[in-house]
Amino acid sequence: MKNMEKEGHRSRLLSSRGVGQVLTITLGWIVICIIFGLINPSFFSGRNVGNLFRQIAPILLIGIGQGLVLITGQIDLSLGSVVGMCSMFSATLMTHSVNPGVAVLIALILSVATGLLNGFLVAGCKIPPFIATLGTMSIARGLAQIVNGNYNTDSIGNNAQGFRDFFYYGKSLNVYNAIWIALLFWIVFDFIARRTVIGRHIYAVGSNIEAAKLSGINTSRSITFAYMVSGLCAGIVGLMTCATSGMGSMDAGTSYEMYAVAAAVIGGISTLGGEGLLIGTIVGAGIWGTLQNGLQFAGAPVGIRNIFIGIIVIISVSMDIIVRAGKGRAVKRKSKNKEKIKLD
Amino acid sequence: MNTYAVKMEHIFKSFAGIKALDDVSFYLKKGEVMALVGENGAGKSTLMKILTGVYTRDSGDVQIFGKSVGNLNPKEAMMLGVAIIHQELNLCNHLTVAQNIFLGRELQKNGIMSSKEMNLKTKTILNHLNISVEPETIVGNLAVSKQQMVEIAKALSTHAKIIIMDEPTSALSERETKDLFAIIMRLKQDGCSIVYISHRLEELQYIADRITIMRDGKLVTSGNCIDFSMDEIISKMVGRKIKEKYPHVSCRKGKKILEVKHLNAGKMVQDINFDIYEGEIVGIAGLMGAGRTETTRAIFGADPKEYGKIFLDGKEVKIQNPRDAIQAGIVLVPEDRKKDGLFTRLSIKANISMPNLDLLDNKLKIVSRNKEYSMAQKIINDLHIKTFNPDVMAENLSGGNQQKVVIAKWLVRHSQVVIFDEPTRGIDVAAKVEIYNLMNKLKQNGIGVLFVSSEMPEIIGMSDRILVMCEGHITGELDAKNVTQERILAYATMYNSKNIAG
Repeated sequence: MKNMEKEGHRSRLLSSRGVGQVLTITLGWIVICIIFGLINPSFFSGRNVGNLFRQIAPILLIGIGQGLVLITGQIDLSLGSVVGMCSMFSATLMTHSVNPGVAVLIALILSVATGLLNGFLVAGCKIPPFIATLGTMSIARGLAQIVNGNYNTDSIGNNAQGFRDFFYYGKSLNVYNAIWIALLFWIVFDFIARRTVIGRHIYAVGSNIEAAKLSGINTSRSITFAYMVSGLCAGIVGLMTCATSGMGSMDAGTSYEMYAVAAAVIGGISTLGGEGLLIGTIVGAGIWGTLQNGLQFAGAPVGIRNIFIGIIVIISVSMDIIVRAGKGRAVKRKSKNKEKIKLD
Repeated sequence: MNTYAVKMEHIFKSFAGIKALDDVSFYLKKGEVMALVGENGAGKSTLMKILTGVYTRDSGDVQIFGKSVGNLNPKEAMMLGVAIIHQELNLCNHLTVAQNIFLGRELQKNGIMSSKEMNLKTKTILNHLNISVEPETIVGNLAVSKQQMVEIAKALSTHAKIIIMDEPTSALSERETKDLFAIIMRLKQDGCSIVYISHRLEELQYIADRITIMRDGKLVTSGNCIDFSMDEIISKMVGRKIKEKYPHVSCRKGKKILEVKHLNAGKMVQDINFDIYEGEIVGIAGLMGAGRTETTRAIFGADPKEYGKIFLDGKEVKIQNPRDAIQAGIVLVPEDRKKDGLFTRLSIKANISMPNLDLLDNKLKIVSRNKEYSMAQKIINDLHIKTFNPDVMAENLSGGNQQKVVIAKWLVRHSQVVIFDEPTRGIDVAAKVEIYNLMNKLKQNGIGVLFVSSEMPEIIGMSDRILVMCEGHITGELDAKNVTQERILAYATMYNSKNIAG
């Protein structure tokens, strides 16, 4: 009896998958790091490690946003374009003597507003998420191009040094700010997903939207929330991108929505919705970022990186589908008890 | 030797160390209807899946028409003349009847489909079975009963000589069941052998020649149907005597709990008016398409309504969506638990807590894990839900236990009215009784119980009052004392409309 109580207190919203998968991919990440370290020992230098994690930070952020949307059973294809849009808007404002703080605020409001729009289109108008966010993807990219008259912006200049420090150069407690920001989001949203009411609703919607409705859940609100978080994450990454390059480029963030899907899926989130833990996203982003960084360090051309990443995404999603299909038949229960096997 | 279509002898099958089939032998004679009964988990489905090539047996012999067969795959089984009609139909709703029947075996000339020929051949098969459906009808537009007949026609078109029917009547009304039986007789005349799996034991005497009873993966007994009484069948299925099939209890009728006035929601719910009092179970009977489910959904706020007032304890409650209904104290156990009632890939605990997070959270909207666990554990014990722990995924439970989870999540709240829509569909006899007892307990505790059912005996056995619906209207009300199946049917067919879509 005591044993049962102990088990119950482990906050397991989902059963056997989740934690196990996260441990497996963490192992994979460690292996990849070791391999790169062997190829080039300065991979492990303090400088490179710091850079590595700073590169991972934006991927983790978009992984969280996209991950939350995936859990609701939808997808956000506009993510990358929102990154570009926020990058361009903040840079354009700053190169026109707008206070960086105000520029940041405007960019973030835009990105969250895009999320709101996505939520309205998908949950309110019932447009399939793929189509709806494909539309907003184009619109956001278009706005990114128009805002500075179809040109990339000039350098955002010295007034924006504070901005650049905050999002890129600066460190707190000897760790890059960007990393702290990403970690903060990761901790907060993982907690929200696992432990709060809105988080539960998000899993419910992804698991079975009909049952969610009949349980009294406001499914539109849950879906819109996820999209708004995704927008916010994209906005912050847009600011990070701007701070990194010191200017706004119209094609910033291209394909980021796919990288975000990769990070989330490698981290264990299912593309079918209702499953997966955000804690894995850091490992997904980590593997992704490490591959990017490591391959770069080893001198591999850009194309190779993309091929690698593509293969890993396919393998991750395939494993997800196989695991789920396998559970459709007789299931091996971890509890070695007379647990009834579903036969009928 | 040649009298048997199928001989399965000493079949063993285990999944992960647990014996699903333990030395089971099954014989099907040519041209007979063999009923296969047993509780959920008894092994009937597993046995048939071996016959149809979905599973491979661990050991034992299988002979089909006298020929020994090794491990089959589904295609090979089909070539040998075995076909199965599942409870959940496997049709393509967007295609026509003919296209479905010839799916995968389309007739063609040089790569171009011969639609005309397929339609003609389809018409022939349909006529042969007396099925009044046009080959060019889109399957999605047909009523479920007709869709089922299309599946049967499809099986026949593959020259199946062994047809397995899994719960064929669970979604059918009395009349449609009679039509199905006529088709089965036709199939028998054609020399087909039929395995008839069903929980509806009362029907068996009308259609089955012999019966095989299984329990816990073992064969209990097998013999001529007429040699078994219903009680005997039940007790052999569950291994113990079930005292009462429908444990009806009498209660003193108290005050009015629920009043539904002028409820209108499309053509399935037209000017519905009724009341529910404390201490009674109100049943809603009617044929498929009468609007019963639609009425319950309209009350619960799951579907929008054009007009209607609902009063609880005399006070009006405004219900625009399920959330309003739940807050007011009206809850719904939906018809299709997998589609609407359960989060199959979430844990039992999460399923139970999902509509009750308002009882488990704090001001910051953080869910208390301790409270959630206690809530789940308590109701699991109270309802005897068979599971090792509350973290098990809901999809791993048997049908009866899944249904209990769906009901459990409402019982942890204090509701005033609980609506059950087909609460015992696809559930074995023992679990059914548990659910009936539950309904009685609710009634005895002054909670209003509204219950929709297509099983006549069930609704007659459990209700204190029965409302009968037909084509969106309530056509009659019967008291438990003077209800008969004929009276219900009379009210259920009052609007004699021949136009069921398709």
